[in-house]
Amino acid sequence: MDIFANLAHGFAVALSPINLLMCLIGALVGTLVGVLPGIGTIATVAMLLPITFGLPPVGALIMLAGIYYGAQYGGSTTSILVNIPGEATSVVTAIDGHQMAKQGRAGPALAIAAIGSFFAGCVATVLIAVLGAPLTKLALAFGPAEYFSLMVLGLIFAVVLAKGSVLKAIAMIVFGLLLSMVGSDIETGASRMAFNIPELADGLGFATVAMGVFGFAEIIRNLDAGAEMNRDLVQQKITGLMPTKKDLIDSTPAILRGTVLGSILGILPGGGAVIASFAAYTLEKKLAKNPSRFGRGAIEGVAAPESANNAAAQTSFIPLLTLGIPPNAVMALMVGAMTIHGIVPGPQVMQKQPDLVWGMIASMWIGNLMLIIINLPLVGIWVRLLRVPYRLMFPSIVIFCAIGIYSVNNAPVDVILAGVFGLVGYWLIKHDFEPAPLLLGMVLGPLMEENLRRALLISRGDWSVFLTRPLSAVLLAIAAFLLTLTLLPMLRAKRDEVFTESEN
Amino acid sequence: MTFIRALAGACLASLCAFVAPAEAQTYPTRGITMIVPFAAGGPTDVISRIVTSHMAQTLGQSIIIENVVGAGGTTATTRAARATNDGYTLITGHMGTHAASVPLYPKLAYHPEKDFEPIALLAGTPILILARKDFPPKDLKEFVAYVKANSEKLNAAHAGIGSVSHVSCELLHSILDIKPVGVPFNGTGPAMNALVAGQVDYMCDQIVNAVPQINAGTIKAYAIATPERNPSLPNVPTTAEAGLPAFQAQAWNAMFAPKGTSPAIIASLNAAAIKALDDETVKKRLLELGSVIPAPKDRTPEALAALVKSEIAKWSPVLKPAS
Amino acid sequence: MAETMGHSATATRNTSVAIGFCLLAIAPQIFEFIWSIGTIFGWGAGRGPATVLISHATALFGGAPAVLIGAASGDTKKASSDVLLALIYSYPIFAVAILTFFMTIRSAQDYVGGIVLMALALFALWASSDLQGMRGFSFGAGTAPRMFGGLLVALGAGIALTGLLADGPAMAHYSWRGPMFVMASIVFFALAIRPLGVVVSAFASFLIAALGTHETRWVETIIVGACLTAGCALLFPYVLGLPMPMFPRFLVQ
Repeated sequence: MDIFANLAHGFAVALSPINLLMCLIGALVGTLVGVLPGIGTIATVAMLLPITFGLPPVGALIMLAGIYYGAQYGGSTTSILVNIPGEATSVVTAIDGHQMAKQGRAGPALAIAAIGSFFAGCVATVLIAVLGAPLTKLALAFGPAEYFSLMVLGLIFAVVLAKGSVLKAIAMIVFGLLLSMVGSDIETGASRMAFNIPELADGLGFATVAMGVFGFAEIIRNLDAGAEMNRDLVQQKITGLMPTKKDLIDSTPAILRGTVLGSILGILPGGGAVIASFAAYTLEKKLAKNPSRFGRGAIEGVAAPESANNAAAQTSFIPLLTLGIPPNAVMALMVGAMTIHGIVPGPQVMQKQPDLVWGMIASMWIGNLMLIIINLPLVGIWVRLLRVPYRLMFPSIVIFCAIGIYSVNNAPVDVILAGVFGLVGYWLIKHDFEPAPLLLGMVLGPLMEENLRRALLISRGDWSVFLTRPLSAVLLAIAAFLLTLTLLPMLRAKRDEVFTESEN
Repeated sequence: MTFIRALAGACLASLCAFVAPAEAQTYPTRGITMIVPFAAGGPTDVISRIVTSHMAQTLGQSIIIENVVGAGGTTATTRAARATNDGYTLITGHMGTHAASVPLYPKLAYHPEKDFEPIALLAGTPILILARKDFPPKDLKEFVAYVKANSEKLNAAHAGIGSVSHVSCELLHSILDIKPVGVPFNGTGPAMNALVAGQVDYMCDQIVNAVPQINAGTIKAYAIATPERNPSLPNVPTTAEAGLPAFQAQAWNAMFAPKGTSPAIIASLNAAAIKALDDETVKKRLLELGSVIPAPKDRTPEALAALVKSEIAKWSPVLKPAS
Repeated sequence: MAETMGHSATATRNTSVAIGFCLLAIAPQIFEFIWSIGTIFGWGAGRGPATVLISHATALFGGAPAVLIGAASGDTKKASSDVLLALIYSYPIFAVAILTFFMTIRSAQDYVGGIVLMALALFALWASSDLQGMRGFSFGAGTAPRMFGGLLVALGAGIALTGLLADGPAMAHYSWRGPMFVMASIVFFALAIRPLGVVVSAFASFLIAALGTHETRWVETIIVGACLTAGCALLFPYVLGLPMPMFPRFLVQ
């Protein structure tokens, strides 16, 4: 088989000392970037791009790739510990991960996230090597109509993952969709709801809103009178660092399913990885014998989305390596890194640059191995951080978030906006609205609108394209099925019978 | 050269003598910030990086690239227009930010001619007419006839309002006097993906992204909108050869400073830029990207000023009705 | 399920809720007025406070009814943005506020939550009212915002309705100290980072945020704040290479 020769060649390239070092640097920087709230992968890769100028191209790309998937490992850390998702893909991890941390199980949550990510990363790497070329067809089969249907499905996932009232969850999604409309219209360039504020010309940033409704709102809520008791309890409750046997048994099927979903959805350019993590969570919740555990610290709710987002991060390299077309902003930067080195990726990059392609694939496996070796011992340190008294912890989080948000665009207005969204988030908590569906609506909103309009432009206003194109029809059917499944029990009885203790 | 630098330094020193006695040396005494109005890794960014890394050697100071994205590059250009005109904040503008933006954005917060001092033209990226690989016409003549006959049914892709692919396609359409449906994508990558997948019919785009796809046969190119053929695509005819001489477009990239920057600083930056463009490695790298390096007579600040003027005049009638 | 809570919920005084809604109905106008005070000192561009006050007052009391009557008699003159704000946003909220007087609120949490969401959606409808609608078969810039705005109005109304029909929790308790100081810290950081640099703004913001709780012990806080500032000053500009000013501008030059 050709594959083995190629992989052997790839490992020979990736195991050279310089490339090993690059891989390690990438993994370390990625973990750091993932852990720091606000600082996104895109910003970091863009920042480090000039450094790669002086490096050999293969080493440079290995490092940049390392930052990208390293950040997926690190991103779960802040989600779990302090309820601040740094990337759209770790929003769902925060739901159950942070609940686990509140119950003193931050250690197992972090460890299972790392283990799930490692497993998913390994599988996805093999998948790229073996099936990369045929899977490319999937990326090309998705036109505007299919994307629209996929986004509809994604929004239904957001309804399913909400733990309270369905009506409120839908309202939050629509609120998120409305927020995503701020900025300039893709088709006409008209400025929408931006009130002539230059920083709003391109819309609200994900980091701005996420830091606000998750990070700042959580801090403000924890400062409420009477909240000290709960916080002290958490600090006393911290138990084991590693998952128990039962945790591992519970998580194994979740990790497997998450990996499969993530690997498939990751290939789709734009939004694939986000939907993958939500889809994996939804699937676990629907398959679970007792879905009410979800949202209250179910370990599957951490294992599945974390596996999915890491698998997706790896397979999103497929369109880049086989078509030469970057599927997301980070990949576009990689293309930039290649062009700076005089390699313009295209459909023939696999034949013309075997060192680069196979070296990168092999390095991904090595990188994942390094990441789990880095991350498992770190779990202990992170958990110890939780013992820091909250009176010192919260100003530190505020500062880290503020610097992080500022660094995204060097825009002070973004920091103020995040603060405003902190107050919005505080209000949402007080009225029992969940922020996760809001963020999902915000991330998927522009993709949904763009593709709807594109599909209608191409079909000349014929709405039936969504049903006549088979892939699109299948996706819509799944969405309709899921929605009925969610709404049915609500019609019979109130969805959430478990009444949480009143906080007043 | 030394004279110019001394002059520049003297000028700067007199400017900020009372603020910073430490800076009373030759320009530049500290790092220069180069604003690039597009994401890192894009054509403008790559050209800026290649040229500025050589210029930094000449000037003896580092040049830090700051990518400021948003609103078709106009966010960054507005910021540059308002920056201190001390020669430490520069911008790499291009045909969109310093010409097409004028008719496209009626509320533009700057004017390319009134708010900037031109420094030097860096490099141009030729524009190609591309189509999906099974698009019926065989050459540009057939393409013109086919597009004119079927303009109702065809879909032209572009990478978003104000992008090079959008404005150049508008130029093509105004020359052909047709109004096909323009399908906007969020950047060149997704647009190219749709073209490779055959979801849209044709588009105009810069040479950088298209060469490997053309060579692999996943899309086809009808013509290149420059006066001469490009070495990276020797088989693609020019628009003049193929029968559409009116369609001439190039995504030029050029360096600007905020208005009021002292002429001595401009001269020293211009000299450094010209030196970079004459360097063999810089030249080789730019040519690898398919870029066109300006002829010596086009590299002066005056030539750039004239180019900006003529480009605004060229795009205004084409883009006015669109917005 | 929440029988025990339900009775206490009815105790929420309707008057205070209704007055709150009345304030909400003119919140954008009040906000613009406060904003416009800044123009006296030359901050930002915009209308002066007097103009803002007069134009909104005429829009609320005179302009909008005139347009309504005009619309009834088939006169389609284009209304100004202030009049539209009164029509699209303020009047419906006033109507809700009046209705609130006569309602029995069974879950204030849901009722108020729903109405405020409705207000947000109405505001979005106003903000996107100047955008183009459908153009033949293709969407205009305003189509999607109006679609989702309308949907959110309906959903907000639905949530408010559940607050009237089903028993549920009353309004939660809001505290002021935490939100105020955390916001102050964030705003200070935003305003200070450019002129004063990371070191000063991070340290000062840390101390301001620490005011947010009575648990703070100052010696400890100052030490941790100083260490954290030093760490950030090394980490962000050097390790991660983020371009940001370190020290106050006047000290550097």
